[in-house]
Order: sequence, then C-alpha cells, then structure tokens
Amino acid sequence: MQRFHFPIIRPDPALEELRGELQSFLTEEREAGNFRPEPECWMASADTEFSKKMGKRGWIGLTWSSQYGGQDKSALERYIVTEETLRAGAPVAAHWIADRQHAPMLLEHGTEQQKLDILPRIAAGECYFAIGLSEPGAGSDLANVKTKAEKVDGGWKINGQKIWSSGAHICHYMVALLRTSPADGRNRHVGLSQIMVDLNLPGVTVKPIVDLSGDAHFNEVYFEDVIVPDDALLGEEGGGWKQVTGELAMERSGPERFLSSYITLESALYELNGKMGSDSHARLGKLIANLRTLRGMSWGIANLLHQGVSPETEAALVKDLGNRLENDLTQQVRALLNDLPEEEWSDDMHRIIAMGILRSPPNTLRGGTTEVMRGIIARQLGLR
Amino acid sequence: MINTNAMVAETAAKIYTDLCGRNIPHEAEAGHYPQNLWDALAENGLPLAWVSEENGGFAAEYDEVFGAIWASAQAASPVPFAETLVANWLLDRAAIAIPESASSFALIDGPIASVPFADIAAHVAIYHRETGEISLYNSTDAIAEKSYPLSPDGERRLNFSGVNPVARSATNLSRRAVEALILTVRAVQMAATMEAALNLSIAYVSEREQFGRPLSKFQAIQHQLAVAASESAAATMAATQAASVLAQNKSDTEKAWHEAVVAKVQIGHSVEAITVPFHQVHGAMGYTQEYDLHHYTRRLWAWRDTLDNEHHWSKLLGAELAVTSPDQIWKGVTTGEWVAS
Repeated sequence: MQRFHFPIIRPDPALEELRGELQSFLTEEREAGNFRPEPECWMASADTEFSKKMGKRGWIGLTWSSQYGGQDKSALERYIVTEETLRAGAPVAAHWIADRQHAPMLLEHGTEQQKLDILPRIAAGECYFAIGLSEPGAGSDLANVKTKAEKVDGGWKINGQKIWSSGAHICHYMVALLRTSPADGRNRHVGLSQIMVDLNLPGVTVKPIVDLSGDAHFNEVYFEDVIVPDDALLGEEGGGWKQVTGELAMERSGPERFLSSYITLESALYELNGKMGSDSHARLGKLIANLRTLRGMSWGIANLLHQGVSPETEAALVKDLGNRLENDLTQQVRALLNDLPEEEWSDDMHRIIAMGILRSPPNTLRGGTTEVMRGIIARQLGLR
Repeated sequence: MINTNAMVAETAAKIYTDLCGRNIPHEAEAGHYPQNLWDALAENGLPLAWVSEENGGFAAEYDEVFGAIWASAQAASPVPFAETLVANWLLDRAAIAIPESASSFALIDGPIASVPFADIAAHVAIYHRETGEISLYNSTDAIAEKSYPLSPDGERRLNFSGVNPVARSATNLSRRAVEALILTVRAVQMAATMEAALNLSIAYVSEREQFGRPLSKFQAIQHQLAVAASESAAATMAATQAASVLAQNKSDTEKAWHEAVVAKVQIGHSVEAITVPFHQVHGAMGYTQEYDLHHYTRRLWAWRDTLDNEHHWSKLLGAELAVTSPDQIWKGVTTGEWVAS
C-alpha cells in the first residue's frame, strides 16, 4: 500500500488547445511591450489593465457557473491558465487571489446577491481580494488573531489590524479571519469567523510596507469601528478556523508553489542558446527532471481537487518540495550563466535574475511556512 | 501511484508476504538462499509476466507487473525477480526460448558485462548496444572478474570473451528502448524501497525512547522524516510517470526513454536526501548488520549506479535539452512529450 496518493493523468488535447491560446496571447502581449516578465509575478506584478484583458478572454473564473460570470470549466483548465501565465511571468497579481480562493469561498458561503454582484466582476478582472489572515501577533500561530468583530444591530463592528496583506491597496475586499467570540479556555479555534470587508468603508486604513526588493505589495490594514452588514459574514459564525484550513489546503498545491521562479530559467535558456558547457548540462538535466516530477505531483493534486477530494498532506508535500525547487532553480541558473560572459547578458535577463533572488525569501513563508508544512506531513506519518 | 491492485501484483505481494519475512534477507546474506521463494514465484509464472504467449508467457500489461516489482522491492527481495523479468523481456524480444531458471541482464559494448545476481542467476540475457543483438549466455561459462562491493545482490563483472552464447539473435530494439525499460524497473524498485525504509524509520522512532519520550515526539526528528517522506513521494511520482508512459507505448518503449531518464535523475539525486535522515534517526542501530535498514539503504546506494549514475544521466538529458528550445523544454515539463512531433 502506498502512503501518498498522486494520480497520473495523461495530457488531454482539449487542454493543450487552451494552452496554445494562452501562449499566443501572452507572446503577443509581451512583444507589444504590454508587460515585462517578472519572477514571482502572481504576488509582485499587478496590472489591472492586464487582468481585465484576461477577464475578457474568459480566463478568470473558469471553474464557476456562467450564471455568475464563469465559464463552467474544470480545475484542470484553470491549472493550464495559471501555469502558462507563471511561465510567462505575466502581471497576474491583481486578480490571482480572488480567482484562486475568494471566489470559490463566495460560491460556497456567499448570499445569492453577493454571488450575482461580486463574482461577475471578479471574472471580468475588475474586482480584487486581499487575504486577511496574518496579524502582528499571528503568523504561523494563526489562531492567535486578535482583530475583533462585535455583533451590532444589523451587522458587525470590526476593530484591529491585519498585516502582510498583498495587494490590499488595489483590492476592493478583504476576507478577514476575525474573533467573533472568546476562545474556549485553551481551545482558540472556536469563536473565529470569516468576514468579507469592503476596503472602501469608513474606518479602514491601508498602509504600504516596502520590502527589501523595493516592491510595495504588502500592506498593513487597520480597522477602526468599521461597520459591515450581517451578510458580510462568510460561512458559519464560529466556523472560521475550519474554513481557513480548507482554504489553505486548496491553495498550497498550485503551480505557483514551484514555478514562481521559472521565468528566470526561461530567460537564461534563450540567451544561453547553444552555449552551455557540460557542467551546465548536468545542472539543467537535474533541474528539469525535478521540475517534471513536481509538475506531476501538482497536476495529480489538481485532478484530486477536480474530483472533489482535498488532499491536505499531499498539498503540504508539494509546497515544501516546490518551494525548495524554486530557490534551487535560481541558484542553478546563476551557475548556468557562467557559460555566458556578463557583458552579453541582456538588461532584461539581468533584472529578472536579480529580482528572482530578491523576491525569493517569501517562497518558504507565504501560504504556510516550511516548518508548518513539515508539521502537517509529520502528523500524517503518525509522528505527532 | 504504482498499480498494486492487479492480479499479478497481488499474487507477488502474497508470495513475498508469506515467504520473505524480515529474517529472509538476513538469511540470504548469510548464505541461505530462499529457493522456496523463487520456486513460488516461478510456479505462478510471474517471471514470465512480460513474455509473449507464443514464448510461454502471459503478456501482462506493464503497469500490472510494476505492482509486482513494487512488492518485491518492499520485501528487499534476495531473489532476482525484477532482473529475471528484464532478462526474459529481452529474450522474448529476440524470440529466444526462455530458460526456466533465474536470469540476469546486462547491456554491453564489448565482452565485459556488469551483472547483478551474477552468482545466483544461471543465465544472462545480454543486449549488445552496438548491434542491437540479444544473446543468452550461461553465466558459469564466463570468467568471473571482480565483484561490486556496494551490491547486496552479488553484482559481478563477467567476461564473455571467447564464450559461445546459448542463443543469439538480431532485433530491431533500439538502445533507448532497452534503457527505458531497465531504468523504469530500477526506478520502481527504488521508489518502493524508499517507502519501505520510511515505514521502518517511522516504526523505529515511535518505539525508541530517549530523554523519557519516543524519538517521534522530537520536532527535529519529525522534520527529518517529513523531508524524507516528501522525497519518497517524489520518487514514487517519477517512477509512476515513467511506468505509465511505458505502459502506453508497449510496442515502442523508446518513446518512454525521456520519462525513464527523468525518473533515473530525480530518484538517483534523492538517495542521499533519503538515506541520510533514515540512518540519522536510527542512530547506531541502523548501522548494524543485525537490523533491517541496510537491506534498503544498501540497495538504494547500489541501484542508483545501474547503467551509470545519476550524474551521467543528468548530463545526457541536459545536453539533449540544451539544443532544443525553451518551448520544447516547457512542453516536456508540462506534458511529458520531450521530442518535437
């Protein structure tokens, strides 16, 4: 009996056709100068015009019903779209998070009115969401969130602070994990709820945090007596912890967990064309074998999700292996480039490599740290 | 996942459960060869699983047989089951009559062959890389040269210079078609071995106590085994991808070559990431001959050298990909189609 379950699915011609459409679009956009390829593009490269173009072509909201602006397609089609945009280093950060996790959350927990109102705007690439989990005192120890929502007449009053909210400065909403009632003694998982907050409401302040690469996608978000209506509560009051763990499992196995730095390799391959020595061949062979294996695992999970299974441990495995691969890839590319004198490097590639290095630290932090992933795996092994 | 539910796989698993308990690999190394284990496999026709019906086999599907190989590796098989499957596959491709006894295999350019189980297998099926011919030799006819000290299976260099084969036949099998099969068989064995060693390590740290609690309760131990588990899962994926492509290209196994090489490279490079933590969490106990861990780790150390090591194959794969295009490389990564069509 095998310990982990990763099904093998052969390529499907219909999916490959979709891939071809994506590739043509992305090549055209890049060649027209409409975007510069970036590593970590799904976090660090937002362009609302680009998101609208993606929306027009039906590449956001693929999996949900056309009634809500979706395309009635499967998680596998969505996977193809995401991996192609990552490969291209396209500016997809604006819509990425809403498409990946908040729209599915709304589909499951939202009111009919919210679905009709918000989902078509997400699918059009016009409405963006921020994650509202971390707080100054709640990182890996997520259950320590202190931001509160108090029941008031007709709604909730929110006070507190969220942090590391990527894109909050351009987002319309945040889905925040909030304390709606006190913890039950040592059990802090009770009394947490998820609430959708309109970031334009009075009392919300968004302040940028500049990171070491010079990017400013992170934000602090302050809530001072922010009043939201009753239907802003997503899912069950007090069911926030369970909803969040499900949400995290869904987002951990996607292609952004191992392909964030792929553009670094891709750009180097174009410039190294025919100039690699045998040391580089060995590095490239190993790297590609590793990428192919991770793609198989990540694709296997996409298929499980497609069948309605949520494989928490397998997702943690992919994230841990994939994040290590992303970092290793950048280092291997540095070694490959010894075969090309630096004065022959294009400015574009030089920039991509530098940004790949500067943007690497969050790989192993966001979406659950490496240490948290290993804890999840250890639990499946029966060690804790 | 390797398909372990097929009848061939279940039959093999039952035989190994019944006749290859934990003590058997120890006894085999002490010189007590488990002939009854081999006999049971042979009586059920399992070594002939990949042989055509015309040649006395039952032409089982590739993936069904990989499930049987998985079971044999998890039991640290001291009999050449996988090796005989490969040898018989080669002989069948050359329409050479299949011997009844256990066999081994080798790929050679000249008269010298590195043969696993050289002291046990009565026959050796040889693929001649230069001509594509396949021949069958009696292993005792060769001059036995040095043995490979890493191999727990008695791998030995045999010199066939001046020796007449029992049979020899031309084939249209390409070198890559043969390499695809052998690399995939080894990949499946190695992935199965990694998982078996993981299970052994989990059991050990759950029982062994230090500082008043089981080792499994220490986060440092948990994280080492979590990393090893990730590598083990990746090895299974790589082996399964290779096995799956082979199963889809029964009549032209050369088409499975790239995925087999990917598996070879992925798994070969992960051996250290696996065996280091397994030995570390076992402490000195894992280093003893008396304990079981070495039946797995020594096989991993030996098998990663089958048909040259992972560094050789990384370079070969990289050199081939370096002269294609970034588009072609991406197509390979995402679809497993590595050659422009």
